[in-house]
Amino acid sequence: MSQGGVKELVEEIAKALVDNPDQVQVRAVEGEQVTVLELRVHPNDLGKVIGRQGRTAKSIRTILGAAGMKLKKRLTLEILE
Amino acid sequence: MVPKAMNYQFSNDEKLDREAAGAELRHFLDRVLAGASLDLRYAIESLDPAPGDVEQVELRVAFSGQDEEFLLEHNGELLQALEYLAVRWLRLDPHLYDRIRLDAANYRADRIEELKLSARVAAQRVAETGQSFRFNPMPARERRILHMVLSEIPAVRSESEGYGEDRQVVIHPAKPLRSR
Repeated sequence: MSQGGVKELVEEIAKALVDNPDQVQVRAVEGEQVTVLELRVHPNDLGKVIGRQGRTAKSIRTILGAAGMKLKKRLTLEILE
Repeated sequence: MVPKAMNYQFSNDEKLDREAAGAELRHFLDRVLAGASLDLRYAIESLDPAPGDVEQVELRVAFSGQDEEFLLEHNGELLQALEYLAVRWLRLDPHLYDRIRLDAANYRADRIEELKLSARVAAQRVAETGQSFRFNPMPARERRILHMVLSEIPAVRSESEGYGEDRQVVIHPAKPLRSR
């Protein structure tokens, strides 16, 4: 599974959580050791992907942390506001 | 705060639709395990919880495989992340979050026994000394178990203090010790 798998995973999770799935966009910015996944959602859905006290975002980041170990690359999630 | 009326897809009158929820849970798990390249298998077991169980688990996911240790690192951080995203993905009624449990190597079940025991031991000390006791910060689902156990012990009361990841359960004596 490539990093493309991770980008699509973040996109699919975000789409499942928000009220406006058609407004979900994920862009993968590739660095040498890091891939930054930039997640953009409808402004009304920001809370849905961040979660209470950031819990949802943290859970997604935890999964990316594990995926990064497998892919030997650091994966970070940026939620664009 | 009155929550906005919401249609919960996999429940009716606070009853989990096990079959539909189980199918969607599989879909979620298959997507995440493949997308994150995790080498894990899982089995979903359907359970009938006993009325006194601190968590009313109806669908239990048991993971196994090469990456099992990833799930358990940092006090089961990945396990809890997957579990939380699963209930959010299902858009489950928050009252029913405990109906779904993700576990590996019986970690969560053992942890619950540990929490129950710690709660009883700490409560006894608070009752004897009259001094409050503060647990380490823990996730909501673990705090809930402490509160449930402590609510059955009349000599103490419990509350959660702090915010976010620092939130912790504190046990107080139900009433201050009288000097005699």
